[in-house]
Amino acid sequence: MKRKHTMLAVASTLALGVAGVCSTAVAADVSIEDIMNDQASGGDIVSYGLGPRGQRYSPLSTLNKENIKNLYPVWSFSFGGEKQRGQESQPLIKDGVMYVTGSYSRMWAIDIATGEELWQYDARLPEGILPCCDVVNRGAAILGDKVFFGTLDAKIVALDAKTGKVIWRKRIGDYEAGYSYTAAPLIVPTEAHGPLILTGNSGGEFGIVGQVDARNPDTGELVWSRPTIEGHMGTLNGEESTMTGKKNETWAGDLWQNGGGATWLGGTYDPDTQLAYFGTGNPAPWNSHLRPGDNKWTSARIAIDPENGEIVWGFQSTPHDGWDYDGVNEFISFDMEKDGETIKAGATADRNGFFYVLDRTNGEFISATPFVRDITWASGVDENGRPLFNPENRPGNPAESADGKKGESIFAVPGFLGAKNWMPMAYSQKTSNFYIPSNEWGMDIWNEPITYKKGAAYLGAGFTIKPLFDDYIGSLKAVDPSTGEIKWEYKNKAPLWGGVLTTAGGLVFTGTPEGYLKAFDDETGEELWKFQTGTGIVSSPITWEQDGEQYVAIVTGWGGAVPLWGGEVAKVVSYLNQGGSVWVFKVPEGLASR
Amino acid sequence: MSYRIPGLSQTLRCLSALSLLAAGLSSPALQARPVDDVVDSGKLVVFAYSDYAPYSWQDESGEAQGIDVEIGRRFGESLGVEVEFLIRGADENLDDDLRVNIWKGDLVHGKYADVMMHVPYDREVDIRNELAVLTSPYFQEQMALIVNRDMLPTVETFGRFVSNPIAVEVDTAGDFFLSNAFRGQLLQSIRRGRTFADAQRLYTSTEVGALMGARAQMEWVAHESPDIDSDIVQPPMPGIVRTGWPIGIAVKHDSRDLGYALGDVLTEMIDSGDMKELYARYGVEWLPADLQ
Repeated sequence: MKRKHTMLAVASTLALGVAGVCSTAVAADVSIEDIMNDQASGGDIVSYGLGPRGQRYSPLSTLNKENIKNLYPVWSFSFGGEKQRGQESQPLIKDGVMYVTGSYSRMWAIDIATGEELWQYDARLPEGILPCCDVVNRGAAILGDKVFFGTLDAKIVALDAKTGKVIWRKRIGDYEAGYSYTAAPLIVPTEAHGPLILTGNSGGEFGIVGQVDARNPDTGELVWSRPTIEGHMGTLNGEESTMTGKKNETWAGDLWQNGGGATWLGGTYDPDTQLAYFGTGNPAPWNSHLRPGDNKWTSARIAIDPENGEIVWGFQSTPHDGWDYDGVNEFISFDMEKDGETIKAGATADRNGFFYVLDRTNGEFISATPFVRDITWASGVDENGRPLFNPENRPGNPAESADGKKGESIFAVPGFLGAKNWMPMAYSQKTSNFYIPSNEWGMDIWNEPITYKKGAAYLGAGFTIKPLFDDYIGSLKAVDPSTGEIKWEYKNKAPLWGGVLTTAGGLVFTGTPEGYLKAFDDETGEELWKFQTGTGIVSSPITWEQDGEQYVAIVTGWGGAVPLWGGEVAKVVSYLNQGGSVWVFKVPEGLASR
Repeated sequence: MSYRIPGLSQTLRCLSALSLLAAGLSSPALQARPVDDVVDSGKLVVFAYSDYAPYSWQDESGEAQGIDVEIGRRFGESLGVEVEFLIRGADENLDDDLRVNIWKGDLVHGKYADVMMHVPYDREVDIRNELAVLTSPYFQEQMALIVNRDMLPTVETFGRFVSNPIAVEVDTAGDFFLSNAFRGQLLQSIRRGRTFADAQRLYTSTEVGALMGARAQMEWVAHESPDIDSDIVQPPMPGIVRTGWPIGIAVKHDSRDLGYALGDVLTEMIDSGDMKELYARYGVEWLPADLQ
């Protein structure tokens, strides 16, 4: 009897598997080992960032500086519908299938051989969600037979990779309270719980407390949660675990209860240190004069032990942030050769304009160098990693112009959209350089003449973002992390808003709002190739190998935060058209070797 | 008492809400499309803030409630149309609210309302937001405190709150005032509620003896908690942005005629005493808009 039961179970599993397949492409299971080894395996992309460290470096070299000129499109897939706006997604690739997310919380599975759709999932978004900063999604995660992604109504969904059917759906936050979700989830191994799926959170200015949640990927059940703001309790296995920091240590009064620190860009993981690294957003309220103290851990990087959700170390890039230098930028683990030693380092290019190198085992500060020009808010960073603030450049307290008149304006660099915003940089194991997509802009800040908030008279601040130079805002830079030296720079008229990819073939790829996917020489910055996709690019390129050929793909569709904010920058981007598609490229047979 | 609403054209001012109804809702006097559109569609979409008792909120069944909601229903009755309420939270400032709720819509569904309730009537805001029209002030807003007399027998100045806690809804005008007051001396005393209801609970549970907000909100709290011996006080507020301001409605720039028609409804409610009676049902004293 027992044996018969088992046989039946196997048979029904098989039946399900077969029923779900509707194409020659057969999706196979992804193991946690596949994810950890993602960077080394060129045949698939099963993590956001081409490996858990997020280096966005591919060991493939079939495509190189010589044959890149022969790179041509294979197919283009339209997301369709009336919904366009910003497409910031990085696709995943497994066994001939591409999994790609789009604006308005949509996802597609596409047969790479033909460019045909296998399935589409369209999240039904409730009325009453008010995402602050466009309706983007940055990508999915994959494990076993499921793909996972977060939706704008602050939920995480697990879909059957073969059919696109919902397996489970869990709430990350309450969208009615202002929570949202746009980042790619992160899958990490643990001894205690097996693989876990980690998500950050995002939302508006107020009432949001940053948090990292870890869930069981099979069921969606919460395993642990870790708030980023001191004074809040974490949980582990359904019970309270420990408090983050010490209540009121760096926040006066009760503002820590609504403090900010959203982990809206997700995180990375380093298999060596077995730590997950998350960046945290700016504190609330925006007006720093109302919240004396460092306000930990806002505008910081934190390292979390995935076994229990404890914070192992934290590093605050902008303590007492008053400029909206939302420190969420990705922290990329890499081994740094310096003075004959190998240092277990990690690097992050902060919205505040400095490129930080830290010891990734303990968060100790190694170096910080500017990666954009003419920074005004700080004159530098001291030997402990603390900024040397420029007090005259801190935005004033609107209360000090109680007459309700427009106060004096100050000009701060970088602007509030950051020297580098969400768009991920890449680290080349070939050149040991980081390739940073940055923007050279500043902001005018003044105390706003009278405004109203929820029906009541209020004093706020006005901001407007301004280019620093006439001829360009965007700037892709190659930076040597051991010295901070900028090796080369590519200047772009419009602000750069897309991620970077670098390869063992000596190429650096990035897209521009003007619609070009471009490839550069990793050593000289020379532009080797470009292709016009017909709409702006604000996403991260990928490359993989299939049937002996190297492919490149990019999601296109202009949008994101830049067109929402405008200012003088709007003039540079106002003519750009929206869109929504994936483009796939390869070198046609016979041309690869030339 | 006659209460006049500025911004109304002479012709339209003659046209009371009642005569509008009598004219069979297709008066040739109304040339512009928006009122006709609203009437043709049989539905008026009214925006009001969520979590904003006694003006507007949603009860447990999702039904819109409050003073502004009742006024919105009156708009519908006068035009002979159904009313749909669009209830959303406040964005960072009024300019954002006008964009999202009156002229552009939200990012996801692109939805906006025909009329927005509870819009401060301010010339500068009106000029700065050229795609919205602020009109028809119908009420005077003020800032105030409610204090529990058993806990705080006298509150003559805010000095009382250097050592006594005071509740307020986070990131509101009251919070802004308290956070800045006396060079931060009250910072340790502020107990912030994430919503107004949370701040109200801090007061009604007697965890704190005072709450700050709009006067009508304070009167509502007193009305809802008759067991507490409460007093509404307005001590000097040095550095407050404004102690009082008029509240009106807003419509999209191409819907001015709708604004005029709804302004007539407000005038009629004020002149007939219905407005005063409506506010009184929520324990609030109606004050006419003070346009200096």
